[in-house]
Amino acid sequence: MKPMGLSSTPFLSYHEIQVENIDIYDDAWGFYQEFSDVMKLLDQVKPVPKKRLTKRLIERVRQQN
Amino acid sequence: MKKTMSDYELIEKFVKGEQSCFEELIRRHKNKVFAYISLYIRDQALAEDLFQDTFLKVIQSVKSGKYYDNGKFISWVMRIAHNLIIDHFRRVKQLNTVSNDDYESDLFNSRKLADANVEDQLIKRQIQKDIRKLISELPDDQREVVILRHYSGLSFKEIADITDVSINTALGRMRYALINMRKMMEAKKISLTIN
Repeated sequence: MKPMGLSSTPFLSYHEIQVENIDIYDDAWGFYQEFSDVMKLLDQVKPVPKKRLTKRLIERVRQQN
Repeated sequence: MKKTMSDYELIEKFVKGEQSCFEELIRRHKNKVFAYISLYIRDQALAEDLFQDTFLKVIQSVKSGKYYDNGKFISWVMRIAHNLIIDHFRRVKQLNTVSNDDYESDLFNSRKLADANVEDQLIKRQIQKDIRKLISELPDDQREVVILRHYSGLSFKEIADITDVSINTALGRMRYALINMRKMMEAKKISLTIN
C-alpha cells in the first residue's frame, strides 16, 4: 500500500494560481466563450499610434520640462 | 536579471527629474490609450491631438501632486482621456458645427499596397474598416465598455470606476454590445476571410 498523498493530485498553493491579466467578472460572465466569433473579429483591429506621433509626443514632453 | 520598474517607481523618478522615466511610461501605455481614443473618436487627426493632450495633462497633474498611487496608474490615465473626450464633445455640442462622421480612411493611399499581396491587403483593410464601423455604430455607453475592455485591457472594476457606473452595469453594457455586434455582423454579412 502506498503512503497517503503520493498518488493524489498535487496541492496547488494559493500563490501558484495564475490570476494576472484575468478579470474575474469577465471570467464569470464567460464573454470570451459565448462571443468568441465577435472577439475574433474585434482582434482584427489593432490600433497603435504611428511612430511619428509617439516621437512628436516625446518631443513635446521634453520641451515642457 | 533587470527588474522592471512599476509605474509608480517611474513616476517618482520622473518627479525627481528623470525625464526618461516618463518616456518609458508613454511607451508602456501608449497603445492602450491610443486604442481607446482612436476607436472612440473617428476623426483621426483629432484623436492624435487628444492622445497627446492626455499625456501632457498627466504630466501637469503628476507635477502638481494630484496623482496618488493605488497601483492603478493606467486607469487614472484612462480617466483623464475619458474626461478630455467628454470635454471635446461638450465643446462640439456648444458650437454645434463639427461632425464626428467625417473620418473616412483612404483605402488606396498607401505605399504598403504596392506589395505583391495587394488584394489581401485590400480585403484586410476593408474588414478592419467594417469592424471600426460596427464599433462606431454601437450606442456610446456600450462602445466605451468594449473599447476599454477589449482594446485597452482594463478590468470591469476599472471600467466601472472610469465611467461612474456599477460593475454590473458595465458588464451588462458589454453583453449588450457583443449581442448587438453579432446582430450587425449577421445583418451586414461580415465575417473573417483573412486570418
